Amino acid sequence: MTSNERIANILKRQPVDRIGLFEHFWPDTHRKWVADGHLREGVSFEDHFGYDLQNCWAFNMVADLDFEPEVVEETDETVLIRDGNGALLRRHKQHDATPEHVDFLVKDRAGWEMHIKPHLTPDRRRINFDGYRAVRNDAQAKQRFFCWGGVNVFELMHPVCGHEYMLMGMALDPDWVKEMVMTYAQLTVDLMEILFADEGLPDGIWFYEDMGFKNRPFMSPDMYREIIQPGHLLTMNYAKSKGLPVILHSCGYVEPLVPGFIESGIDCLQVIEVKAGMDLIQLYKDYGDRLSFMGGIDVRTLYSNDRDTIRQELCAKIPTVKEGFGYVLHSDHSIPVQVDYESYRYFVDFGMEIGHY
Amino acid sequence: MSELLEQIATCIERGKVNANSPYPPDMKGQEGADELVKKAVDEGVAPEDILNEALIKGMGAIGKKFSANQVFVPDVLMAAKSMQAAMAHLRPFFESGQAKHKGTFVIGTVQGDLHDIGKNLVAMVMEGGGFKVVDLGVDVAPEKFVEAVKANPDACVGLSALLTTTMVNMEKTVAQIKETSPDTKVVVGGAPLTQEFADKIGADSYSPDPQGALDYLTSAVS
Repeated sequence: MTSNERIANILKRQPVDRIGLFEHFWPDTHRKWVADGHLREGVSFEDHFGYDLQNCWAFNMVADLDFEPEVVEETDETVLIRDGNGALLRRHKQHDATPEHVDFLVKDRAGWEMHIKPHLTPDRRRINFDGYRAVRNDAQAKQRFFCWGGVNVFELMHPVCGHEYMLMGMALDPDWVKEMVMTYAQLTVDLMEILFADEGLPDGIWFYEDMGFKNRPFMSPDMYREIIQPGHLLTMNYAKSKGLPVILHSCGYVEPLVPGFIESGIDCLQVIEVKAGMDLIQLYKDYGDRLSFMGGIDVRTLYSNDRDTIRQELCAKIPTVKEGFGYVLHSDHSIPVQVDYESYRYFVDFGMEIGHY
Repeated sequence: MSELLEQIATCIERGKVNANSPYPPDMKGQEGADELVKKAVDEGVAPEDILNEALIKGMGAIGKKFSANQVFVPDVLMAAKSMQAAMAHLRPFFESGQAKHKGTFVIGTVQGDLHDIGKNLVAMVMEGGGFKVVDLGVDVAPEKFVEAVKANPDACVGLSALLTTTMVNMEKTVAQIKETSPDTKVVVGGAPLTQEFADKIGADSYSPDPQGALDYLTSAVS
């Protein structure tokens, strides 16, 4: 069975030879493993570990494509930048992390209409045709499942107005947030139309959409259905119209939103963050007949760098979630630099051993 | 008087900022925390009564509902916004010493970590709970926490971290605070944290949500 066939079946919960395999890493990890001689420079994780999937982020969704990012302040450790979304973001120079949201030009509907909306047109400059073609060809040559990857509406809005203004806007002026949702959803579909017409379809669609944090989602299920779901339906219905399955990534605790995600059309939920309160086994019991899963293995067991701890975590979950043929092995977030190469190698090897049918 | 304070508490809990605010829809056109607290001050209601019997009560109610997953972040943000509108009328009394906070709360995200949503939510709930909040921001070095504790000797401290890669910096921060000020209460929170980790690094308390931190520190300072 090729990787492509395996993932296609897993997303439909149909028989396969083994569970799937994929992973995300913090960039520091790649640098360290290369420096330590475990990975050869220029060799991808996909090639080294034999992953079943390959993604390509092909869209630039920053509002003003002509705006040159402007350095406002710089220290030895951080740099403060005004970007093409009108956002003032402080980034760490020493390590990889989400930037601090310092300020935004958009705080309400007026700011959105003035600074962002006029820029959101399906400009071909937003599309990395060459990158998409290269990764698609590479995945096809290696018979991997190839996904168009990118963010969906929730992750597209907060870079222009920040989480706090966006979430307050959902209460104070829901029609404004709905308008942002539908503008970004339509732009995503328009750009997909252009890309797929020129370069061909992927095998699936992967949306990154962090909608939760510790023990709770950012919004109620009702708010999700009223404000965010129309954008998810537009983008996911488009994917389905092309026969493409949809994988949805969300960090944080999003269990209360899962019924809404299923209504929207997702085929697989990824990444099932244990430390935020997500429970892979419970999700499998509740939704395993309708949904495939990727992730849910507590990454803290990996950076214990203790094989017994890693084995226990895998044995506690894999035999159950593999039953319905709908599981891809992945940590519950990304592999940080604290994880030794040997620990991760063991995780993959033992996971595949017990993940065979 | 008690009816007015009840009305203010309701405005705080429901996130009704002022008469112009369209939120919540069922209170559209009604006076909000801004107008009602001004009215209470003008009528001579003691600022500490307004704080204790209206603001703290309203924020406590929303905090408990948040802990129970009955309300979500947008609701807490609106409650905090209405509380800030109310506090604008009370701040002069606290600055002049005519009214007193429950205590001082120093908060920051630990060194190496630039996340601030969780920290901001805790700061809002603590302020609504009657504490003076000293927000050190994000990416805060242990030395800065120590300096803040020296400047505010009776303060409690809150440390936030979102990343597994930065929570290790909490241990250094707790150690430095406890070395210079052993009696200072330190609470910790953030996505990757557990009670076990908090115990290991010598923190006094761990809370998975803002209300838990407020309840612990209210009891610690009383």
